[in-house]
Amino acid sequence: MTYILDDYAILSPLRYRNNWLKLAIVTFGILAGVSSSSPFVPFTIALCMSFATIFFGKVPPKFYFKILAVPAGFVLVSIVIIAFFFGEGANLFEFDIFGYTLGVSSQGLNMALLILARTISGMSCLFFLSLTTPMIELFAVLKAAKLPDSFVEIAMMMYRYIFVFLDVAMGIRYAQTVRLGYRDFKTSFRSMVMLGTNLFIRSWEQGEKLYLSMNSRCYDGKMIMYDEKRPVKMPEMLLTGAYFAIVLVVFWLTRGISFI
Amino acid sequence: MHIFEGFLPYPWWQAWFAISIPVILYGMYKMNKLVSERREVVPLLAVAGAFIFVLSSLKLPSVTGSSSHPTGTGMAAILFGPAITAVLGVIVLLYQAIFLAHGGITTLGANAASMAIIGPLVAYMFYKAASKAGMNFYMNVFLATAIADWVTYVVTSLQLALAFPSATGGILASFIAFAGVFATTQVPLAILEGALTALIMKYVVQIKSDVLVDLNVLTTTTVAKLKEAMQ
Repeated sequence: MTYILDDYAILSPLRYRNNWLKLAIVTFGILAGVSSSSPFVPFTIALCMSFATIFFGKVPPKFYFKILAVPAGFVLVSIVIIAFFFGEGANLFEFDIFGYTLGVSSQGLNMALLILARTISGMSCLFFLSLTTPMIELFAVLKAAKLPDSFVEIAMMMYRYIFVFLDVAMGIRYAQTVRLGYRDFKTSFRSMVMLGTNLFIRSWEQGEKLYLSMNSRCYDGKMIMYDEKRPVKMPEMLLTGAYFAIVLVVFWLTRGISFI
Repeated sequence: MHIFEGFLPYPWWQAWFAISIPVILYGMYKMNKLVSERREVVPLLAVAGAFIFVLSSLKLPSVTGSSSHPTGTGMAAILFGPAITAVLGVIVLLYQAIFLAHGGITTLGANAASMAIIGPLVAYMFYKAASKAGMNFYMNVFLATAIADWVTYVVTSLQLALAFPSATGGILASFIAFAGVFATTQVPLAILEGALTALIMKYVVQIKSDVLVDLNVLTTTTVAKLKEAMQ
């Protein structure tokens, strides 16, 4: 049904590296990508992050490119609109529909390409995080960020129950499919309703059971987590430093340069 | 529709964070209060959040052959109120960004504004107003969730239009273009989600109506009336 990137993160060889270092790499990449003024910076970031994810993170390249195409539908439609509507100046090419002239200016096209590059770089940074760091490692980070206890708690329990319910949902869906429950539109709608209802009722009952079981084990609204200390090693430090330096140099060299 | 990572340029992603964060903080404050009063709601809220996530990852059957996902936030707003839905919605959005590669971190503010705040708020206000006016419960749920789903996409179109205004027609022209693509295609899906939620509610009333009474969605008398009508 859906692939969960967390599955890959748990098996990742980069899982046991320092969480803060990984977060710093990702935050730096995302911020540099989003504030870049030329498509070269996002391109560099995307290249480095994809390399790190595939080479160090041992993610199958085929799977990696498949998930990189997830935003394609939304991004392509949006950048076409941006190319046509954004920017001023002489049109590179234009055509008439219903008496309106639609044209693409060089400024609009540049913006569209820049946005495309930024999205690819942002997604590759995000993938680096989600394919190398399982959520369980990030809860300690959320706690250290001084978010309210109840928030972290609920996030944690939600994480656990997402997998329980996905399992239930997949089981029900499978059972419905083999009974021709998704034969045509009408039956699939009916099956969908039954699936949703059962899921809701089951989640509710599960929640009540969870409360009882946690209460009987002296739950007082706080769960203590083990936050393992993982010092940053020298090679990691050097590699990260080199990556930051390359991105900053590209950032500085290509200020305001565009393709067209 | 989530706005993907890196899509919103410089002042806009910060601006949407500035709009979303106070609302989410207010939601957290509300949730903290609720949790300190009634500790048993913690697991219930957690499973509710997980339910939103799973519901939103299911593919809806679609007439045109393309598939789309329900947002599930309209239903959550009716069940838990908009403040708590905002907090649960943010966690769901974060998980969708990290687990499913839908959405992003810098665009989290904008996505939270459209999907976790404005959409659910509209659904909740509609639901409250219509139930005061005495509208049929299922019709009400149908309209509230369908409108919430659709409003989410209108807000997303507006966010894109504000960030990328048209050179000739300004924000309005690019809003029409974005809304023309995203909001119009969403109309049948919004209707579908509304119908789905209304039917789910029908079964829930049938099988486990006490949950709805516990959550103050319905009173005992309305449940009795709805059950009577079913027979």
